Amino acid sequence: MSGDRQDDVAGTGVVLSGIDSPVVTATVRLVTPFVLTFGLFTAFHGTSSVGGGFQGGVVVAASIVLVLFSFGLDRTLRWLDTTAMTVLAVGGVLVFAGVAVAAIGFGGPYLDLSAYPVPKAVVYGVELIELGIGATVATAIVAMVVEVGRWGRR
Amino acid sequence: MSNALPLLVTLPVAAAVLPPVLARRFDGVGWPIAAAASVAQVALAAWVAWSVAAEGPMRLVVGGLPATIGIELAADRLSVAFLLLVALAGLWGLAYTRRGGPRSATGYTLYLLLLAGLTGICLTRDVFNLYVFLEVSGLSAYALVAIGDDADAAPAALHYLLVGTVGASLYLLGIGYLYLGTGTLNMAALAEQLRTVGYDGRLATAAFGLIVVGLGVKVALFPVHTWKPDAYRAAPAGITAVLAALVSTVAAYALLRLLLSVFTPAFFAANPVLAGALEAAAVVSIVAGTLLALLQDDVRRMLAYSSVSQFGIAVGGFALGTRLGLVGGAVHLLGHAVMKSGAFAATGVVEAAYDASTVDEFAGAAERVPVTSGAFAVLAFGLVGLPPLVGFFGKWYVALASVRAGSWVLAAAVLASTALSLTYFARVVQRLYFERRDGDGRADPSAASPGMVASGVLAALVALGLGLASATLVDLLLPAIGGGLP
Amino acid sequence: MGTAVTAGALGWGPYVLAVGLVGLGLFVLVDDDNLVKKVVGLNLFQTGIYLFYVAGAFRVGGRSPLTVDPGGGPYVNPLPHVLVLTAIVVGVSVTALAAALVVRIHDEQGTVRASELRSAGVGDRE
Repeated sequence: MSGDRQDDVAGTGVVLSGIDSPVVTATVRLVTPFVLTFGLFTAFHGTSSVGGGFQGGVVVAASIVLVLFSFGLDRTLRWLDTTAMTVLAVGGVLVFAGVAVAAIGFGGPYLDLSAYPVPKAVVYGVELIELGIGATVATAIVAMVVEVGRWGRR
Repeated sequence: MSNALPLLVTLPVAAAVLPPVLARRFDGVGWPIAAAASVAQVALAAWVAWSVAAEGPMRLVVGGLPATIGIELAADRLSVAFLLLVALAGLWGLAYTRRGGPRSATGYTLYLLLLAGLTGICLTRDVFNLYVFLEVSGLSAYALVAIGDDADAAPAALHYLLVGTVGASLYLLGIGYLYLGTGTLNMAALAEQLRTVGYDGRLATAAFGLIVVGLGVKVALFPVHTWKPDAYRAAPAGITAVLAALVSTVAAYALLRLLLSVFTPAFFAANPVLAGALEAAAVVSIVAGTLLALLQDDVRRMLAYSSVSQFGIAVGGFALGTRLGLVGGAVHLLGHAVMKSGAFAATGVVEAAYDASTVDEFAGAAERVPVTSGAFAVLAFGLVGLPPLVGFFGKWYVALASVRAGSWVLAAAVLASTALSLTYFARVVQRLYFERRDGDGRADPSAASPGMVASGVLAALVALGLGLASATLVDLLLPAIGGGLP
Repeated sequence: MGTAVTAGALGWGPYVLAVGLVGLGLFVLVDDDNLVKKVVGLNLFQTGIYLFYVAGAFRVGGRSPLTVDPGGGPYVNPLPHVLVLTAIVVGVSVTALAAALVVRIHDEQGTVRASELRSAGVGDRE
């Protein structure tokens, strides 16, 4: 990982130079917004073509991990809010559970989205669920990479 | 209201995600959330149990879809028995872990996810859904084994993970065969399709082999049992108790459910060779588990190998294919779950309060921890199979079923393992009561909270109660086995 | 909705490859000394199983089952693809947990080689 300081990776004796690669950082700066948008696009299009919540979430996570690799753990952690990530992860699961259980309140069996008195309820319900899944998956993967990265420098 | 079935899984999952976020604000929030969720789970499970006993089986297809393409959840008397076991054991374990188990919020997240996965296995009638819940509970179990501070914890957890994932993947391959041959994943629809496709074709037999081996890994039959002693030794005592009660038991229930509802006893009638092979594997487990247990010095490893042999007895009962064999195996599973978990809880108390882990170090513990030693003695004799504890009745039904079916080898193995297990359990009880040891090591009587002691005693009492009520238990379960399937 | 496994235009090739991956993955898992490679072997093993499912979903002359594409005709069976997706998610979680455990073992024991762990008396005690 390039970063902004000397780094003895995991005590192996390998020291990385602390110089950023301008090509990498410029490319990542340029590409990341598009990748994030593509991730959202993939997440929403699961029902009609290739995609889905998990896939979109992984794409979003991949873009954040890309930023982590090119800019280094310290600089990324300055703007990456771990509390927000935890809330998003938890929120994603609770959204799915909420959508499924609330269907009971509207009279249908569990997870029967057509029971909602909203037009095109199935479409919107599925999209909400995909968003929740994507949020949970993306934050979980980023959290795992950040955690293993933190261990690596002890 | 059959919507209770998916709620039984949703509740622990929703509760499981709360500790990590609440732990940022409050301290020690894990246990109260787990306790509240467990109490609610027990209440809901009890309601479902009463409803099934009074009004018959309950079923629901998630999303209101037709059963062949949707995920069906169903509760009949057999499922409900194991559902109650999971819910009650989940609550029971919390009495131990209050002092003796994981402190972290993530520990309780994993605990609740484990309960959710196991509950899902008990309720699902979709073979792929069973794989998902098997892996959810499996991942939670692997992580819970690693949560201790032992140097052994991470290698044991990794070993468990590698072996367990191979097992679950073999199960996945097996159901892949079933799907490609029949076009459905629903258990009832699969049973019908298999009848048409034929039980003696390569498809059904290959699927059977893969599924049995896959679930056998999770049940820890010989020779794929190697993860169990290491995992049970390395995990914190409260976690080991809950894992011993639930993980392999519910995997064995899954095997029973598939044998009963997908393959049906007609499969065994059409494939006597396979039935014989399964029985032989069970016999090998029984014998190998008992012999290996005899060789152990460490009490937890001894109990783990004893589990290998006990699950061999249960699977042997299933392999017979008769109603008595199936229900005997189920009763044995339930009884063993109660007794083994209590034994691990009692062992944990002795380890903590008396600083003992090997059989020799247990010497004289009865003076320091009399109540726990008494509970351990009762549970040990239950595991050997002395009446009126439930351990006797489980083995009795399986042995009786094997004699009736003409499987003398299985009956002999059950009897032989009972006699041999008396040896290694009596050895421990003798050390507890009739021997002393020099020096107290780092004995710390205050390390054992009343909750930890009470959990062992409670397990012993439940084992006794189940034993006294075993005939009623069999009568309650029999309608669900053979004949009236939902 | 009964389906029959058709040999199809690709013949038994994908199935043989799937079995090959399963066997290769198992071999690496069991035989290699390095824990990281064991995890890789596990992934290979699981990939072989995914390939088995996807190969079973193929139909000769089938079209991709997307609702946005016009035209009818025989579709490739989408259900095994969904099953494989779920299995991949499970595989990701398992691999992540395994990787975390390997990192922890390296932290605590200083090695990721199973033989060195055994001689240090840690784990695998049979």
